[in-house]
Amino acid sequence: MRRRRKLKGFLVSVLLALLTVSFLYPLYYMFINSLKTRTDFFTNQFNLPHPPLQFVNYTTMISQFKILNLFKNSLIISAFTVVGLLIIGTFASYVFAKYRFKGKSVIYVAVLATMFIPSQVTIIPLYVFFSKIGLVSTYWSVIFAYLALFLPECILLMTANFRSIIDELLEAAEIDGCSYLQKVWNVVIPMGRAAIFLSIIFYFIMSWNDLFTPMIFLQSMEKRTVMVALAALMGRYTGAPTLQFAGLLLSAVPALVVYIIFQRNIIRGLSLGAIK
Amino acid sequence: MRTRKNFLPIFLSLLPVFIILAVLRVYPIVVAVMKSFTNWDGLYQSDWVGLANYINFIKSGPFWKVLRNTLILMINVPLQVFIGLVVALLLYEKVKGWQFYRAMVYTPQIISAVIIGFLFKIFFGFNGPFNAVLRAVGLEKIAIEWFGNSYTALAVIVFSVVWFSIGWQAVVLLGGMSAIPPSVFEAAIIDGANYWQRAFKIVVPMLVRVLEFAIIASGVWTLTQLFPFLFAMTRGGPGYETSTLDYMIYLKSFGLGFGRDYGTATAIAVMLLVLVLILTLIEMRVANRADDWS
Repeated sequence: MRRRRKLKGFLVSVLLALLTVSFLYPLYYMFINSLKTRTDFFTNQFNLPHPPLQFVNYTTMISQFKILNLFKNSLIISAFTVVGLLIIGTFASYVFAKYRFKGKSVIYVAVLATMFIPSQVTIIPLYVFFSKIGLVSTYWSVIFAYLALFLPECILLMTANFRSIIDELLEAAEIDGCSYLQKVWNVVIPMGRAAIFLSIIFYFIMSWNDLFTPMIFLQSMEKRTVMVALAALMGRYTGAPTLQFAGLLLSAVPALVVYIIFQRNIIRGLSLGAIK
Repeated sequence: MRTRKNFLPIFLSLLPVFIILAVLRVYPIVVAVMKSFTNWDGLYQSDWVGLANYINFIKSGPFWKVLRNTLILMINVPLQVFIGLVVALLLYEKVKGWQFYRAMVYTPQIISAVIIGFLFKIFFGFNGPFNAVLRAVGLEKIAIEWFGNSYTALAVIVFSVVWFSIGWQAVVLLGGMSAIPPSVFEAAIIDGANYWQRAFKIVVPMLVRVLEFAIIASGVWTLTQLFPFLFAMTRGGPGYETSTLDYMIYLKSFGLGFGRDYGTATAIAVMLLVLVLILTLIEMRVANRADDWS
């Protein structure tokens, strides 16, 4: 019996290890090939690069494609999106979680219902509207669109979490003379930090990785996000695959770094409320 | 808590949400529905044409292509749910280092769908690694141009989407499994149930609600979120051979260099919306999620 259990554990480990390899191999493949010359890539794409390593692929991405500038654009959009979501989402979720008033559940369901509207349905009227008020090709167009897209889900997540804040704590804060804002700052935010933290990580990655919205709204070259520029780069430089690998890998790095640091929080949060 | 005294803070807390959702989601939806009955070009032309946009699109050749493609691409849903379930069952054994494996399995979800799309385009390119392996083992005949015809191109897209989604399925289903009380298993082991009996007679039936959610969420996701994959791998082509509804909206509005047919694009968008709403309503009825909300 014990031997059988050991064997089963071994088999499960082997299968999981194989899966891990299959999920990590593309990253490895991009990495080794991003350090090769073009001929080296075409002659041995599966092997380690022959020295000297071609860091030039990376320096070209930085000097010629100004990838750092693209990072800056993506970072500005993602950061403002996350901050906006947190400020607006925290207050709204606190009200939904802890106050009782007439029509609350109707309002709550109405807010969540907008979650199911696909972004493709609203993008054309939104584009026309933004171009009328001069927002096209500004960071704000994408930030506002993201706020509208992500808020319902963010509120769902935070409200579920804020409900578990103990009422006595809030009442005690009130007796101590805390104003509404102080209650949010001193009780809600510290007690709901798990959901707030998860939202920061999750929506940062979401906004960083998105292609559709910035591709439509950001028409000026200087404002483009990494993913939009990458899509253009991949279409144009098909003759320089090693350079493309460097670009693909570099664009994936920021989100991956955030994930490596915070993966425990992300996965714990995902298993609680299912986000997709 | 008392309300009257709190009216102002409550009102001000919810106001930004109302404004954002009203201006950026509800208003555009109303415009989209109304303009879907016109020959709108986004500028001045916006004459009422009745159902012409809908009828013309349904009568047109691309519509049947889109329908076929959507149905084929939907195959990814059972695949990703099934493989995700198997992976979740493996993780559920909690072997040494399972948390590491769980984190690794989820990695593709962190990488942008655009990057994944291009990655698979390269992997299944004519001189890409997949064909190189096929040639090395003497299967030159199968080493074809995968994106050269619609069926193999769609198969590669399905494969990439499944690869991308397994981690999400596994983590969500594992979350559902952890809600199953351990005593159920102990009872089953005492009753002499073996591993497979335990997996498919105890775990799966207790996961029904989570599975339903996973299936419908992936279905909606397939209808609405394939844009980056298609854009990277095939651009919906050759022709409309690999386009879906969401990709057609893009093609009809922003995608083609010439003339913008916003009227037809919004009509397709409304069709997509109706499809998504139907799926969502099925889910809410099935899982009774509406009750959980309030």
